[in-house]
Formats: sequence, C-alpha cells, structure tokens
Amino acid sequence: MTTTTSFIGKISDTGMLSANVKKIISDFTRWVVVPAIGVLVFMLLWSAAAQNIDTSLGKFPGPAAVWEQFGTLYDEHVTERQKAADFYERQEQRNAERVAKDPGYEPKIRAYTGKETFLDQIVTSLITVMSGFLLAVAIAVPLGIAVGLSKTLNAAVNPIVQIFKPVSPLAWLPLVTMVVSALYVSPDPMVAKSFLNSMITVTLCCLWPMVINTSVGVASIDSDLVNVSKVLRLPALTHVRKIVLPASIPMIFTGMRLSLGVAWMVLIAAEMLAQNPGLGKFVWDEFQNGSSDSLARIMAAVLVIGFIGFLLDRGMLQIQRFVSWDKSSADR
Amino acid sequence: MNPFLDISHIDMVFPTPKGEFTALKDVDLKIQKGEFVSLIGHSGCGKSTVLNVVAGLYQASTGGVVLNGKEVNEPGPERAVVFQNHSLLPWLTAYENVELAVNQVFGKSKSKAEKKAWIEHNLELVHMDHAMHKRPDEISGGMKQRVGIARALAMQPEVLLMDEPFGALDALTRAHMQDSLMEIQAELNNTVIMITHDVDEAVLLSDRIVMMTNGPAATVGEILEVNLERPRDRLTLAEDPEYTHLRSEVLKFLYEKQRKVEPISRKAKNKDKKNTEAA
Amino acid sequence: MKWLRPFKHALMATVVGAGLGTAAAHAELGYPEKEELKFGFIKLTDMAPIAVAYEQGYFEDEGLYVTIEAQANWKVLLDGVIDGRLDGAHMLAGQPIAATMGFGTKAHIITPFSMDLNGNGITVSNEIWDQMKPNIPKMDDGRPVHPIKADALKPVVEKYKAEGKPFNMGMVFPVSTHNYELRYWLAAGGIHPGYYAPHKGDTSGQIDADALLSVTPPPQMPATLEAGTIYGYCVGEPWNQQAVFKGIGVPVVTDYEIWKNNPEKVFGITAEFAEKYPNTTIRLTRALIRAAKWLDENNNANRPAAVKILSQPNYVGADYDVIANSMTGTFEYEKGDKRAVPDFNVFFRYFATYPYYSDAIWYLTQMRRWGQIPEDKSDQWYKDLAAQVYRPDLYMAAAQSLVADGLAKASDFPAADEDGFREPQTHFIDDIVYDGTKPNDYINKFSIGLKAGDKL
Repeated sequence: MTTTTSFIGKISDTGMLSANVKKIISDFTRWVVVPAIGVLVFMLLWSAAAQNIDTSLGKFPGPAAVWEQFGTLYDEHVTERQKAADFYERQEQRNAERVAKDPGYEPKIRAYTGKETFLDQIVTSLITVMSGFLLAVAIAVPLGIAVGLSKTLNAAVNPIVQIFKPVSPLAWLPLVTMVVSALYVSPDPMVAKSFLNSMITVTLCCLWPMVINTSVGVASIDSDLVNVSKVLRLPALTHVRKIVLPASIPMIFTGMRLSLGVAWMVLIAAEMLAQNPGLGKFVWDEFQNGSSDSLARIMAAVLVIGFIGFLLDRGMLQIQRFVSWDKSSADR
Repeated sequence: MNPFLDISHIDMVFPTPKGEFTALKDVDLKIQKGEFVSLIGHSGCGKSTVLNVVAGLYQASTGGVVLNGKEVNEPGPERAVVFQNHSLLPWLTAYENVELAVNQVFGKSKSKAEKKAWIEHNLELVHMDHAMHKRPDEISGGMKQRVGIARALAMQPEVLLMDEPFGALDALTRAHMQDSLMEIQAELNNTVIMITHDVDEAVLLSDRIVMMTNGPAATVGEILEVNLERPRDRLTLAEDPEYTHLRSEVLKFLYEKQRKVEPISRKAKNKDKKNTEAA
Repeated sequence: MKWLRPFKHALMATVVGAGLGTAAAHAELGYPEKEELKFGFIKLTDMAPIAVAYEQGYFEDEGLYVTIEAQANWKVLLDGVIDGRLDGAHMLAGQPIAATMGFGTKAHIITPFSMDLNGNGITVSNEIWDQMKPNIPKMDDGRPVHPIKADALKPVVEKYKAEGKPFNMGMVFPVSTHNYELRYWLAAGGIHPGYYAPHKGDTSGQIDADALLSVTPPPQMPATLEAGTIYGYCVGEPWNQQAVFKGIGVPVVTDYEIWKNNPEKVFGITAEFAEKYPNTTIRLTRALIRAAKWLDENNNANRPAAVKILSQPNYVGADYDVIANSMTGTFEYEKGDKRAVPDFNVFFRYFATYPYYSDAIWYLTQMRRWGQIPEDKSDQWYKDLAAQVYRPDLYMAAAQSLVADGLAKASDFPAADEDGFREPQTHFIDDIVYDGTKPNDYINKFSIGLKAGDKL
C-alpha cells in the first residue's frame, strides 16, 4: 500500500517535474527562440534586399553598414566632447587674459558652439517630447476632469476637441512658429525658439486624446462611488482628489500612452520639417548631405527612433501598472 | 412626542420623455430611535426611491423627511448608506476605505490615534480585522459587504440606510451576514432602514416590516409589527408559530394582495429573478 | 568719383566716430559688444570662409563665440537674419540688394564682406545632354569644346516647345546669382528665360519664357533632377559634381566661363546690427578675411584641409571626393572629363572679398533686365542703392587693422583710395563689356531683355 502511494507520488512528482521543464522549454521557445529567429530572418531579408537596391548614393545600407555607422557616430560624439573641453579651456584662458587687461570685465562662460552629435540629438528629442508631453498632461488632465464633471462644459468643449483632434499637428507647425516668434521676444531667452516650437507642436498633438480619454474616464465613474462621496459630503477638491482622479487613472493613462506614441512620431516629422534640433533634423541633414554614408546613418537613426519609441511605450506601461489600481487596464 | 425620523407624505414624480411618471404617492412613515425597519415589496415598487429620499440623494417632489427635528435636503454622513454593490473604492484597502469616512466625519474631533483605534474597532465589529489591509479585489463579496457596513457604522450615523445589503450574496454567506448584523445591532441599537426582497430576512431582523404596494404611485400598503424576542435564533424561530405566522402574512401581502400581473413572455424571463426574491 | 564723396564722408564720419577709421585707432579696436553670435548658411562649398573661420579659431581670436547653423533654404535664411534669429549669414549677392530695395521682404541688409568669386555651374540631365551633344563642336580627342554655349541647347528647347512640353529648369532663388547666370547663359544662346512683372503681381518670372525657371533649394537639386521634375539647373558646388558622381546629369558650363571671376556669395548682416555692434562687425569681418586668405594661401595649399572641414556632416556633409572635385582646382564635366579650372572657387585673390559697388550694380542691371525692377532708374539710383548695401568702408577698417596687427599685408587689399568700381569687365560668354559706372548703357546692349524705356 505504502509503496504504491509513494510510487504514485513519484510518478506525479516526475510528472510535475517534466511539466515544469516543458513549461520552461516552451516559454524559452516562445520568448527567446522565436523572436530571435524573427530578427534573424529580418536581418537576412534586409541584407539580401539591400544588396539589390542601387540608389544614386550607392547601395542601400545593410545591417553591417548600419552597425559600422553606430560606431562612427559614437566616435564622433567622443571627438566632439574633446573639442568642447578644449573650447572651454581656451575660453577660460581668454577670459583670464582679458580680466588681466580689463579688470572691470566680468568673465562669462559661454556654451560650446560646436555641432550637436547624434547622441546630443537623441537627448534633445527626448527632452522635447517629454516637456511637450508633460505640458499637455498639465493642461489636458485638469481640463478633461472639468469637462468630465460638467455636462455644460462638455457640451461647450466637445465640438472644439472633436474638430482639432483629427488635425495633424504638423499643420499647426507654421502657425506655432509664427506665434512663438511674435510673442516670445526676449533678449536673453531661457530656451531656444526652435525648442518651444517643437515642444508646443508635441503638446498640441498630445492634448486632444488626453482630454477625451480623461473626460470619458471621469464621466463614466460608477455612480455608486459618486454617491459614497455625496454621503460623506466630500468637498469638491477632495472629491476630485480621492474619488475622481483615482477612478479615472486607467483611462487617463490609456490616453497618455496613445498620445506619447503619436507625439514621438510627430516630433521627428516636425524636427525634419522645421529644422529644429533633434533626431528629425539629424535625418534631414543626412539626407541633404547626400554623402555615401548618409543612408546608413539615416538607417541607424531610424532604428534608434524605433527603439526609443518602444522604450517610451514600455515606460508608460510600467508607470501605469505602478500607479493604477486596475491592473488589467494596462494590458488593454 | 415627535418621531425620531419622520417620512412625511412623500410624492416622487420623475420627468420622462413620455411625460411625468409618479413613482411614489403619499408615502408616510414614522420611525422611532433604535428601531429596525424593513421595506419589502416587488421590484420596481419604489423601495430604493424611498431610501434615496431619506439619504438625501433624491429630493421628494412634495412632502419631506425630518430627522431628529431637522429637515433632510442633501446627503450626509448622519444618514450612512450601505449600498447593494458594496461601493468600496477599489484603489483603497479596507482600512483606507473606512479611514476616508472617519477622516471626513471625525477629521477634527478625534486625534490620529483615536481615529486609528476607531477604524480598527469598526473593522473588528464586522470581523474584518484580519484582512483590513487588503484591497477590495483581494477579498470575497461577503467580506466587501462587511467593509461597506463597517464604513457606514464608522460614521456613527443617526440612521443607517441599507439598500438590499445582502442581495448579491449566496445563501450561506447571507445567513452569516444576517447573524453578524443582529449581533452588531444588539450592541449598538442603531436606527436602521433596510430594503430587502427576502421575506425570511425581513422577519428575522426587523422590529417592523413595511410592505409597499406595486408602482406606479407606490405607497405604504401594510405595516407588520414583529414582536419576536431578541436575541433571535434562526433555527429556533423556524419552529416558532409566531414566526411562521408573520412570514405567511408577508407572503400573503406580496402574492395575494399585491400580486404582480405581468405578460406571460416577461414572466418566463423574470422567472429566475422571482425565485430568488421569494427565497 | 565725385557723386560718392558725400556718402563716403558720411560713412567715414560714422566709422571714425566709432573709433575705427584711422590708423591710430586700429590698436584701440574695442572688445566686441556682442560676443555670442549665430550665423546661418546653406550647404554649399562657398560657405567655406565661415567654417574655416570657426575651425581655425579666427572667430575666437576676435572674442566671438559663433554657432553655425545650416538653413533649409534661402528664404528661411534671409528671414532668420531679418527677424534676428541669425546674426548674420552666407547670402546670395542679390539678397541684401533685393531686400534693401524691397523686392520680396523689405529690410536694410548690408554686406561688409564678399565671400567668393565663381563656384557655380549649370547641369543638365543625361537625357538633355544626349540631345545637346550633336550640336557641340568636338576637339581632336573627341571631347566637346568648352565653353559650351546655350546655342547647343536651343534646338532641344525648341523641340520640347513644339511638342508642347514645358522645358523646366531649376535655380535656387529669384534674386540668386544662379538665376541671373542661368538667364545670362540661356539668353546669350537665344533662349528666352522669361520676365518678372512684380508691379502686376507676377513674381514667377515666366512671362514670354522659352525655358521655365523655378526655385529648388540647392541640396535638393540632384534629387529633383533625378525625379524628372526639371531638365537642368544652375547651382553652387557640390551639387553639380554630385550629379556627375550619381551619374544623373552632366554639368555643361561653369559660371567662370559665363563671366570670368564673377562675384558670388556675400556675408549679410542687418544695418541695425552694424550700427548697434560696430566692434563686433569689424571683428567678424576680420575673422572672415583671415579665413578667405587661408583658403587661397600658397596657391590653394590649404584646400584639401578645407575640403575635409566642409565634408563634415554639420557643414556641407557631402563626400570628400565630391567636394574636392571642384575645390581643388578641377572640375569634372562628363564622367571622366575632368579639366583644370584653377579659379573655379576663388576666395581671396583678385580682391575677391572686397565689396565692390560695381558688383552690386551688375546684379541690379540684371534685375532690371528681367523685370524684377519694373521701371527705368537713373544711373545715380543704381549707385546710391549699391552704396547703401555694399560697405567697403567697414571692410577697409577691418583690413587696415589686420595690416596693423601684422596678420595681413597691405598689398592683399585694394588701395585705400579705391573708388569701389572695378575697371570695365570683359570675359563674358557673349563678349559684352560691363562698365559699372554706366548701368543703363549696359542694359541696352542685350538683345534679349528689357531696355531703357521698356515696361511690361
């Protein structure tokens, strides 16, 4: 009897074990092997296709050429940093000389005037997209809450939002540029106009989906929760803070993720169009240069743009998972 | 002597696209302090409307509610509501849900430590002290309802309004909850208005059962005094002739005097629902 | 030049007032009023003096911290200078003149420094070249005789016209050197490039045209030609050599052959800037003069180094070989037909950087010839306008201070009593002589084009 049980136990143990092993293997296949094969096939197709595309700038760059450009771009960055260091050194020396001759002079350190490297452009684009995005959040979330809470306000704002939502933010770009030039006049500006232009374009692009999602989220709060708030006689601000905001967080984040994805795409296009610093300008400059490395450099930028877009989305997802009570909403 | 809670000649008229709909007509009810009153009636008879008027979530078209000498015209924590669907804030733990209410009601009058003790006391009362740091989605339906009751009790209301508090629970859990509620009531002696579909529940828990006629223009049909000894025990009562009598009085009201006449096709559809109501 | 005297005196007074006019004042050249500057440029090899002044540290030597930024096209660049986004820029010679005159955006732009001579070319697509080739006389080795005149293109244009196909060509800007050079070359071969009539609101410049000219930004020329939108274009380097490298077109003529040692780009700043920051103005001119000198020094010895700078992605960015082709004294026409053109790009010799009034007036005569100036103007008008825009006084102040500092020789520059007019110039493709002092006479010499008294 005992032997039978232990035997059965053993069977079930090994059964469990093999099931576990099977699961590990199948997970490994699913999450590592299959994607790796996918990437490999893509690389092969890419290099095969690249071999056969002749452009006026030479052959279309294959993976190897692009990889090489990543190295070159990094080297350029290092070189430029060295040049910047030299620049500051010379400047300090010059300032010192002048102070010696002209004691009334207040030495000032001016920012490096050299070119922006690929890495600098990545940072610029990231800062721009995040600033524009955060500005949009600061405007859209309160507005969305107000619109969601008040039917009257909703009726007033809704047509405007509906009309502006389908407009490509690139259409705004010329208007934004002109308005910024007209209104942002300062002899010693804190931020460059081009940065403001890109940032406001991003904001305009993020605004509408966020307003809509927030207001829908707010308007569709469970009426029982609203009644709880009423019975407790929560003051308006506490009501928003304790009930409305947390309840609509999942919808707000859905809007945010949507916006950020679009904003990243739009920013690159806006930078190309307006020659504002960032990855878009990098791509356009390389296209204009028409050197034999240009296509490989553009392709490198394309990969980086895609990868950053992916990371931004993952990042938002993680934040959403972290702050949202409704864990399932992040997977939608 | 004026009654503690006076529901005085309430009419409730809702505007609809097809014209006005009179839900309640001349509902008049006086309730004494410490009394446990059940409202029973077929679905759609306006029980919840009465409760919402008392809660202040609805405004009566004519007539009004006076609680302890003051007219009711907006919701407030002195008339705490236990909702049918627990209505806990899903992003807060059981403790935090109660805390929100306690902070609001006793924000200034109790110290931090007192508040903490009070929250824990109320959760203990409903036997939820073991899971007070869990969120609603981590606990069962019955437990959620317990937290809902704890939240209402923690407001120290003058009257506790319960809208089919156990309607969504299975029979066993419901029996547990009813027993708990009786225990709490024995200790606190609250004034309670409870809506129910369940005849046994009404007889078991109430001092009076208010039976409502069918809508439209629903009103108080009959009022049944329940003079069973407390504490009550469901097993003993099952044999009690007074209990059986009261039970059949309610059933008679519902299925003879206020029988709901509905078209056949609809009846079939509502069959399941009816069964639960009769249970 | 009697008529210039009052003007020159006024200018000198200003300069002396700023403490810069006399030799004694040179040592006192003050610190720059504005130290952080942003200069714009278009991706063309003739922006070299700006890049060189930066890379060689000439700007920093003057205490100037300059950021250099490529611009999308000539209009964006000009607007940038006008609205103050840019402090100065590499400009088409016609731009400051047209802006001051009010053709297009009106703004008082001046130029203290001429950037180079020559440097442009006219390229046609392979398809057009194949049709032109039979009309061109050949040398003994079978290569075509240069310079190629537009006479060879005329039958092709006529054929297209007969077939009802518009013969489209690209140039970079309505007041660009390229527009006037392309027009000059076409008209010299009997092909009408069309009139402007701004007073009637027509700024397309295609009235009565055989060949229809339109604007395309320089770096996009090869791509536009490749797409078949235009059959040929006139542009600066490296965009002609780029067509050869890509195998999409053939440069048929350089502007050196159209007009030997013609003035090309200028450095433009607003008059307001020069007034507000006199020391900065002189100092940036000094840096640019030194850069130009470096570019031509020792018989173009520094050119390979300059090409290396220009091929950086933040300047011109084209391949080293493409830029080197024209910058190092050669020019490749048909693939393999590389000829020596030592003066294709001149940055300093022949007083290339001195802003001669007569250069400005040549542009004005062409503006009048093609209707951009719709009615007759007196010779005096031409001279006054030239003197408003071209500022040899600022140039000379910078040059003399360089001489005083031992950074240049007096012989590098025109004599101090220079009157701003070059001797009457020959060496045009149609052998017409240009005398800057008699603009109206000059206009009347052309067979195609508006003459004195003509109005559209």
